[in-house]
Amino acid sequence: MNGETILPYLIIVPLFGAFSMPIISLAGRKAREAWAVIISGITLLVGSAVFHSVYENGPMLYTLGAKSPFGKANFPVRIVWEVDLLSALMVLMVTLVAFLAVLYSLGYMKHDTGLDKYYTLILILELGMLGIAITGDLFNFYVFLEIMSIASYALVAFRNDTWEGIEAGIKYMFVGSIASSLVLLGIALLYGQYGTLTMGYLAVKIAQNPTVVAKVALAFFIAGLLFKSGASPVHMWLADAHPAAPSSISAMLSGLVIKIGGVYALARILFSIYGSSVNMKTVGWVIIIFACITLIVGNAMAVIQTDMKRLLAYSSVGQIGYILLGIGIGLAAYGSRTGDIALAGAIYHTFNHALMKALLFLIAGAVIHELGTRNLNELSGLAKTMPKTTFAFLIGAAAIVGLPPLNGFASKWLIYESSAMFNPILATIAVIGTAFCTAAYVRVLYTFFGKPSEKVMNARDPDATMLWPMIILALAIIVMGLFPWQISDKVMIPVAKALENQLGYIATLMGGA
Amino acid sequence: MLGYWDALYFVFVFIIGLILAYLLDKWAKRSGMGTRETGDGTKIFISGEDPDRIIPGFEHLEGNYTGRNVMWGLTYALKNFFAVLRRDHTGLLTDYASYLVITTAFVLGVLLIWG
Amino acid sequence: MIQFQFIVAFLMIALGIYAFLAKRNLLKLVLALNIIDSGIHLLLISLGYRMELNEVPTAPIYTGYETLKSPMVGPLPQALVLTSIVIGVCVLSLAVALTINAYRHYGTLDVRALRRLRG
Repeated sequence: MNGETILPYLIIVPLFGAFSMPIISLAGRKAREAWAVIISGITLLVGSAVFHSVYENGPMLYTLGAKSPFGKANFPVRIVWEVDLLSALMVLMVTLVAFLAVLYSLGYMKHDTGLDKYYTLILILELGMLGIAITGDLFNFYVFLEIMSIASYALVAFRNDTWEGIEAGIKYMFVGSIASSLVLLGIALLYGQYGTLTMGYLAVKIAQNPTVVAKVALAFFIAGLLFKSGASPVHMWLADAHPAAPSSISAMLSGLVIKIGGVYALARILFSIYGSSVNMKTVGWVIIIFACITLIVGNAMAVIQTDMKRLLAYSSVGQIGYILLGIGIGLAAYGSRTGDIALAGAIYHTFNHALMKALLFLIAGAVIHELGTRNLNELSGLAKTMPKTTFAFLIGAAAIVGLPPLNGFASKWLIYESSAMFNPILATIAVIGTAFCTAAYVRVLYTFFGKPSEKVMNARDPDATMLWPMIILALAIIVMGLFPWQISDKVMIPVAKALENQLGYIATLMGGA
Repeated sequence: MLGYWDALYFVFVFIIGLILAYLLDKWAKRSGMGTRETGDGTKIFISGEDPDRIIPGFEHLEGNYTGRNVMWGLTYALKNFFAVLRRDHTGLLTDYASYLVITTAFVLGVLLIWG
Repeated sequence: MIQFQFIVAFLMIALGIYAFLAKRNLLKLVLALNIIDSGIHLLLISLGYRMELNEVPTAPIYTGYETLKSPMVGPLPQALVLTSIVIGVCVLSLAVALTINAYRHYGTLDVRALRRLRG
């Protein structure tokens, strides 16, 4: 199948699904749920087709507006979407986890009201993330970033009858808007200096004439996107917002939003737009410093939490630290083998962590659904009454700590290895972070396998729509863990190469015109 | 050996670890005084949490191994570090924004000087 | 010639950030967000306004472009600002809705009261 013809459906399908949702839901609950599952299922199919096409045929370009890159009177009126291998991988990740989250919501949100708005927002959230992944235009990127952010602000505050959702929503939203404004300010500065917003063309212009304005804009991008990805010291909204959302949304926020809207966008701007026009060593070390703070603070805060979802949220912060460490080393050691491996490890860990953290948040949701509490002190002995859920948690926890037969090991290993080759102190910090991470998850596992308290005796494994997404994610983790180096060589190293290849990105833009 | 890992090595290490654990257990049993076979020694004891003792006011937690204190050694050893972290997470919206501004200023300064 | 609009734009951004950090009332924070946004919009619009050959530029209308004598302002920033204003209204309405809900739950608009989630 020709990739370029199906690419627009990646946006059209969820957009149509989202805005037809209120009409469809007039036909009742069943129709609404079926519609949500069908739409996200079709999006998953389109996403897989796009990934397959890009993997086979190389990057694709889709233009809205003028086909020529020079346009009328030297002024191109157009927006480009440019999908390289990294974007395609992110598209696959988003559509997969979003589909499972929608499936899970059928059972999990059964007792809530306002569900037509909920499904509309969840599809808009997916749409925003897909848009960020495929766009090749900076302002288009900003629009999709805001679509994604506004949908997630609204979803964090979805349960507006609780003070927790409202407080978390306000904290997330107010500071998040400032971060978005910083990104917009950076875009405005770049436009003023270079007069274009197409990423590939901007890369050419910056390489020809690197100015101070470009550096200032880069600083605004880095700060805004570090906030969106939840790096320390601007991670505090994450620990408030992610636990307050409904669990299916927490899975999407922790698994996808902080990666697409934060890490992916950061990597795209750093590698594809700026590339070697700025001093990559400095930028790399800036990212590395934030990564080290992040992975220590995030994992350490996870150890002392008593709230299960808050623990998982802090653990997300810690894992973002590993991903940023990989990207930072990939920048600082650009072009060397160490850099390739670090970048491949970062991308691999992005994908793995999306699966693992989605699984863990879905399990937390199942526990809340059955017991109505997420305080770890009241959950002891869950293994007796919820064996399947506990087993899935065991898989997820082992994977996130990085035990060998599971997928988390391979990606963490690549990051440790490259950081040890780059600078042994960084590897030490990374291992200390993992020690804290292990401590946090051992506490939860001890609680689950302890002596059953009376509260948990009435609990049982959730019903099929909630159980199956968890089983699929656990199976994916195990299967990916069985072929770590095959995946790394076949997918992750080429993806890292595609991201590093700035000239290829520009050539796709010019050649596809 | 970049990017090299073989599952077999881990199986070997795991088996060696099992053997070591077994030998340690044997040795401990032989040199122990027999207190682990009778009386209080047989109870599982996690960092000061006695499952049979009822603490006034905490009856609802009676007999639960909550895992609360599993990492007691770690949290106690690093209690100053954790206290600093806890104090920093004020939960105040203004502080969140200040950190964002400080981060921006830091990145901007670094990029302008060394970029 | 001093370009006043750039100075005003950056002043507005700085003012907004100062207000966000210094003020305690949630509604004032919402206003601060909007002032920051407006500053950026002003910056973008000013960037598109280019005086060429001392001629005042006209509106960017492509039809009949060839016969036009005077230069046009950049069409792109105008499109960007229109989109950005729509996004800003979206953010504003959601922020005000959340503020109303916060008042219902906390009985106050003081941002210092919103710190039950911490640690």
